[in-house]
Amino acid sequence: MTRAALVCLVAPLAALAAGFAFFHRRKPWSPHCGPGSTHWPILLSCAVVTASSWWLAAQMLAGAPALDRTLWTWMSAGGPGPGGLSVDFGLRVDGLGAAVLAMVTLVSGLIHAYAVGYMRGDPGFSRFFLYFHLFLFSMIGLVLSNNYLQLYLFWEGVGLASYLLIGFWRERESARRAALKAFLTNRVGDVCFLFAIFLLARSAGTLRFTEVFARLDRIPQSTLAWIAGLMFMGACAKSAQFPLYIWLPDAMEGPTPTSALMHAATMVTAGVFLMARSWPILERVPGVLDWIAATGAFTALGAAVLAFTKKDLKRILAYSTVSHLGLMMLALGAGNAYAATAHLVMHGFFKATLFLCAGNVLHHIGKSTASVDEAGGPTAGFFSKDLIFEAAVHRSAILGACAALVAVGSGLYIGRMAWLTFFGERPEQPDSLPLPSSTGEGRGEGSSDPHAHHSDPWLEWPVAALAFFSALIGLAVVPTGVLHRLILAAPLWRGEPFPHAPFDWGLGAAALAAALAGIGASWYLAMAKPSWDWQWRKRRPGLERAFDADFGWQPFVMGCVVQPVAALANFVGWTFDLRTWDRFMEAAADSFIGLSEGVSGLSRGLLNQYVGWMAAAAALFLLRLAWVR
Amino acid sequence: MTPDRVVWLVSVLLFLCGLAALLLRRQLLAMLLGLELMINAANLNFVFYGREWSDAAGWTSALWVLAAAAAEAVVGLTLILALNRLAEPDTDSVRELEG
Repeated sequence: MTRAALVCLVAPLAALAAGFAFFHRRKPWSPHCGPGSTHWPILLSCAVVTASSWWLAAQMLAGAPALDRTLWTWMSAGGPGPGGLSVDFGLRVDGLGAAVLAMVTLVSGLIHAYAVGYMRGDPGFSRFFLYFHLFLFSMIGLVLSNNYLQLYLFWEGVGLASYLLIGFWRERESARRAALKAFLTNRVGDVCFLFAIFLLARSAGTLRFTEVFARLDRIPQSTLAWIAGLMFMGACAKSAQFPLYIWLPDAMEGPTPTSALMHAATMVTAGVFLMARSWPILERVPGVLDWIAATGAFTALGAAVLAFTKKDLKRILAYSTVSHLGLMMLALGAGNAYAATAHLVMHGFFKATLFLCAGNVLHHIGKSTASVDEAGGPTAGFFSKDLIFEAAVHRSAILGACAALVAVGSGLYIGRMAWLTFFGERPEQPDSLPLPSSTGEGRGEGSSDPHAHHSDPWLEWPVAALAFFSALIGLAVVPTGVLHRLILAAPLWRGEPFPHAPFDWGLGAAALAAALAGIGASWYLAMAKPSWDWQWRKRRPGLERAFDADFGWQPFVMGCVVQPVAALANFVGWTFDLRTWDRFMEAAADSFIGLSEGVSGLSRGLLNQYVGWMAAAAALFLLRLAWVR
Repeated sequence: MTPDRVVWLVSVLLFLCGLAALLLRRQLLAMLLGLELMINAANLNFVFYGREWSDAAGWTSALWVLAAAAAEAVVGLTLILALNRLAEPDTDSVRELEG
């Protein structure tokens, strides 16, 4: 198992190195070994990684003990014993990790394959694949980490790769801005997470998961609450929860495969994964759990409402992701880390499918026939969502109601999207087209699109495979309890915390009814009364503006956080850097220039002058001799 | 005025004349002449005190200095010849070592 886990880390690294050294060249060695074929080593690595991670999952399912192994000591300070801290570089594979890893590698591999078709012909094809694989590598490392600092390292790697990919079309101002926004927003969370790690290192004396969780009894409750809260803030940024979700909708600026990867497999799942990993800490601080549940419920509801009002296909999906992540957080807060993880896995599959469909739709604008059946999405999500309902209902009625509302909402927006996109007649108003041209696509659209690959198999088969897998997993794996057994195999969670409840038909029926109600309502609004969508926009322009601004949260953040910070930075930069320090440095430099000019006046290259200096020196020497005498 | 005082004064005067030529003249030939004056001012002391103290070291030193001066004249004159091919063969125009 160690070897399989190592392969998961080494294969992407080798592929990246090979791609960088042999393919990513301005002057290719041969037509078969140039920037146009960087994807081959990387696809190979994807296949290897997927195979080994599924083998790992199978091992865990077959009852193998968890793998927790130190590879080498990364850094150590203060020597062994109390007061010292030693951080290792290690591997950990348990049920949770294997389940997430299997999802991440399979989904990412298919998205990589899709990207081959999507990015073909782009001048940055090679660069894109290197970034893309770096993203996957970081996520694999994150899932396989066995301590918090290593996890943090890859956590930052994920952030970096997402920055590079969101700003991939760097010649566009909006892409650069979105990338910066994502990076800076994540930075807020990262700092919180880092402080949580500091607190942990200080109070537990170790960062290894197993050791930390064994020593939790020694840590005072208030410290634990701080750790859990700060960690949750970190997860908030990565997993796009309420105060820090703002970067995710803008992250659409990257190429569509990036969005798919980010929303499904690699980026936003990291926060939920961290929360599930740290469940032993979280479960000791019920106050923080309540906060998590409230944040999740609020985010899920708000994002569902906003998703319903958006017109841009990818933007709808982005808010839907935020909403689903809210659901996962809600499940965590409601006390069921298993439900959150299960939904994470399911969501990975169906959101990737949806995004790739959206990418195809954007490529075949006006040709809805080419798009793939997306029925796999809602089915897969249904069962795991159901788990969350159960958890929420068991916890409290309000949370249950929230979750139900979200289900109605997601039925609404997914249904609306599907109806409008595939069956909608063009509404009268041009600005309410379901597929506006202002989507986050970097290329010229329509006839100027140079990448007309309507029949590119690379665009079709990964989507079909993803749809197949999400339907398969949604229908076969979740209800039969296989996923449950996998996630709970050899857990760090104590005992048997989340028993596999028999399918609750009452709740299931309620959830199904909620989703159907949502879909029905969306059909009514989108198909039976197609004018409704633009009528309310016309009648209530203020409301539309409020929706566009996320109920004023985006302007609030801009006005109350970003601009003051920018102003402060300007002030500091101007006053302390330009006015004070720069002037001091300039004065120092000027005085050195003056000094050297003065000194260089002593050697003008004039022979007579040199003789003069020599004579003066000799005279001084003689005077000195006379003086001593 | 004792003889040693006379020799001392003459040699100092010779030395200062040579130094003045070296400092003030811009023609290399004149500067070389100044240099010879300075060398011989020193030589005068060697010869005089060699005789005064009956010490052969003074005379041999004087011979050594003459040999060195001859060598120096060879090198210097070669340099002067090379320099004279320039349009302005004075030392102010040869200042590539300006710092």
